[in-house]
Amino acid sequence: MRKNVIFLLARQLCKDSFRSKVMIIALGLMIFLVLFSAYSGWENYHDQNFTRDAIQDEVQESWENNPDKHPHRMAHYGSFALRIKHILSVFDLGMENFVGNAVFLEAHKQNTANFSEASMSTGLLRFGEVSLAMLLKIIVPLLIFYLGYATIAQERESSTLKLLIGQGISRKEIVIGKWLGLYSLALIFVVSTFLVLLCFILIASHDTAHGASLLRYGVLLFSYLLFFAILCAITILVSAFSSSAKAALVKLLGIWLLFVIIVPKSLQAIGYYLHPTPSKIEIETAVAEDLIKLGDSHNPNDPHFTALKDSVLSAHNVTKVEDLPFNYGGFVMAKGEALSTAVYLKYQKELYEVYTKQNDVERYSAFINPYTAIKNVSMAFSGTDFHSFLHFKDKAEAYRFKLAQEMNRLQMEYIPNKGKAGPNTISSKFWKEFPPFEYQFMPISRVFKNELISIIALLLWSILTFFGLFKLATNLKAI
Amino acid sequence: MFRLLFKSFFRTKIFVLSLVLLMAVGLISILIGKQYLVKQEKTILAAQEFQNNSIQRNLEYHNDDLGLLLYYLRFTLIKKPANISAISIGQSDVNPLLQAVTIRAIEGQKYDNDFENPALLMSGNLDLGFVIIYLFPLVLIAMIFNLYSEEKELGTWRIVAAQTARKATFLLKKMLVRVLFVFAVLMSLLFMASAILQIPMDQNFWAIFLQSILYILFWSVLCLWIISLQKSSNFNALALISIWVVLTILIPAIVNNYVMNTYQVPEALEAMVEQRDGYHEKWDLEKDATMTRFFEAYPQYKNYPVPEDEFSWIWYYGMQEMGDLAAKETSAEMAEKLQLRTSVSKNVALFVPTMHAQLSFNTLAGTDMVSHLHFLKALTEFHKNLRLGFYTKFFDNKPADTIDWSSYAAKFYTIKRDFSWFYVLLPTLFITLIFGTLGVLNLRRL
Repeated sequence: MRKNVIFLLARQLCKDSFRSKVMIIALGLMIFLVLFSAYSGWENYHDQNFTRDAIQDEVQESWENNPDKHPHRMAHYGSFALRIKHILSVFDLGMENFVGNAVFLEAHKQNTANFSEASMSTGLLRFGEVSLAMLLKIIVPLLIFYLGYATIAQERESSTLKLLIGQGISRKEIVIGKWLGLYSLALIFVVSTFLVLLCFILIASHDTAHGASLLRYGVLLFSYLLFFAILCAITILVSAFSSSAKAALVKLLGIWLLFVIIVPKSLQAIGYYLHPTPSKIEIETAVAEDLIKLGDSHNPNDPHFTALKDSVLSAHNVTKVEDLPFNYGGFVMAKGEALSTAVYLKYQKELYEVYTKQNDVERYSAFINPYTAIKNVSMAFSGTDFHSFLHFKDKAEAYRFKLAQEMNRLQMEYIPNKGKAGPNTISSKFWKEFPPFEYQFMPISRVFKNELISIIALLLWSILTFFGLFKLATNLKAI
Repeated sequence: MFRLLFKSFFRTKIFVLSLVLLMAVGLISILIGKQYLVKQEKTILAAQEFQNNSIQRNLEYHNDDLGLLLYYLRFTLIKKPANISAISIGQSDVNPLLQAVTIRAIEGQKYDNDFENPALLMSGNLDLGFVIIYLFPLVLIAMIFNLYSEEKELGTWRIVAAQTARKATFLLKKMLVRVLFVFAVLMSLLFMASAILQIPMDQNFWAIFLQSILYILFWSVLCLWIISLQKSSNFNALALISIWVVLTILIPAIVNNYVMNTYQVPEALEAMVEQRDGYHEKWDLEKDATMTRFFEAYPQYKNYPVPEDEFSWIWYYGMQEMGDLAAKETSAEMAEKLQLRTSVSKNVALFVPTMHAQLSFNTLAGTDMVSHLHFLKALTEFHKNLRLGFYTKFFDNKPADTIDWSSYAAKFYTIKRDFSWFYVLLPTLFITLIFGTLGVLNLRRL
């Protein structure tokens, strides 16, 4: 293969494209869309994080400003965890707007994450959202198909392919040259989008972890470069092996509709159909029943808590709980909290396993649908996938548990038992000592682990399509 | 003539393909609707059982302390399921079907989510509404885009032209055959949905029916208009798919982003904090700080004593009410903003048939945001009635078994599904007429 021939062919394809009306309209539209989605993504990221940061600070301030009181009052006063958006959510909104943004953290109770943007949206949300990633995943592939469907098929129809081969250009050179030309066109979109994104990462004041964000950015860039290489190869191959340009166009449009719009949604729906999820009230019933079986702290005659009492009493060699060296109420609540949290988390884990099974139906289709692979990689590294949300929820729950148990500990230590002398409140300095909720994003190594399947699929696809380009090119029909 | 056209159409590959595709996906979407209804039923049963059991169990422990009993008890308000919602699930998967609330402050309870897989929420439900809005136009495009251009390109058009005096009529007839076929599939799917999902054929069903027909008609005339420009097959395919992308993906998504950014709702988070602080700070204040305002709101309870230096339930629930009161204004602002989001979206949708179809389907099925807002309002009212019903009972220190608990089973709320025929049908009809006229005018020059 001769490099200069390939470059010449590639340049020719680009030049021709810029002469066509489709490209001009598409470019204009894309510039508008990129600007709009960059602006709207940034505004959304900035405003939402601004509000949430402000409220998180306000929450901490009011926590610290509480006067002296009984620690259990503070356990009920509780706190809030507000979900902070990752800077890369400017790029890919993912599930961002479908998951809750605020959790109330209080003793005895795991609250849901509420106020998702979806819960405050009109039916329009169902049409999807515009983001830079959405343009790259959905709109640009269509454009590439528009620009590339005719590349080889048209040359064959107008017999220029025969001429090219007659002039001593090898079939491989033609295919690779065309691919390179189309890929360069795709790069215009990818590179400009990622340049805009880079600016955002660099100026994001919210993001303290520049390094991690840049690493995620690097992975995203690499994945999209691969994705478009695959896409362009598919386009060229379809064009090369179609009888006419029209046939190539119809095939490519069909591929786009099927793989980008219909199949992912249908598979998600099938996953849901195969693995139905229980409703919240069913899970709450199950949790309540389990707790009653294990030990109901509200029931004065409960065997679990009676046994607990007896063992504590004998361990400390006293006959009445009032004589224990610590506050017995605080002790029972600490045990109850640990018990109820364990049961709740067990059911939550089961629920998440059902979700995972539902999602896996679509996730594994990455091996037959490269769009699914890039979709999942893109969301995960933008910090807007389901795992990122779970990571936040886990951290919030851990903080809630810590808060409740710390308040129980304070109660055990400083509040006298019933009937004993001593203050019923503790100093407000304890509130200030308790650290605020600070969320750190998931480490990138875990993101890699979560998306291993998608990454492997993407790599396999690139190998497959390149093999296709090189091997099948020799079979290219000239007429 | 028509018989021949039908015959030749039935022999095409695209006919078989689209029939199978639409029927299969349509049936799947109806089954998904069925599953959605079954899940609703199961949830409702579970909620009813949960409520009865928890009342029974807690009665055993806290019979002497009604105030404490009511601290635990949750009372459920359920949106009465209507099978028509399975056609257009809309926002009803994001917004909960029911809410089980205690008589403590409502503000912290009414926005609680149900559990749902966010990946599913993101990809959206594959309901019949989706099939009608997204897939039907695509099939229509696939059947019609090369109706004229192909004959021209294959050279058969000249033969046709030589044999018929009215070329435009011939083309229109050819198109009519295809559109009629799509209508037949559409109607049979809708009737199948009505049968399988047991949807009563009431006004709302017929409104969805007519809206669907109009919507498909809109796409038909749009295709007609593109054909009438007499460009090549490739141009038609590109143009029609681009229009489809713009109408079903880009414009709605852009409007959605715009609405979301322009009308942000920080009030939601603010109200949540205000409610908590408004309630909790009262623990550290004199009891008067709570009771004065409480008695202002409920002068009928003025004569109940509030012990100064010990805990009392009248004070406790008074404090809870103060939480709601503190968040009241912000919460109302939030509801207003959400209403605003809806009205802006609806207004833009008047000009975009895809958006209008989706929003009007949701309205007709009672699965839009407005019906959820109505539900939240009803929930607040429900909560108020519960409180007022119980207050005097435990202010008087009555034991719990003096209350007739059987009247406190889960309650149903009927969603309002009223609509205006003009709103549903006129916008699409108008746009259809415009494109129809343009198309026919162009065809006359054939």
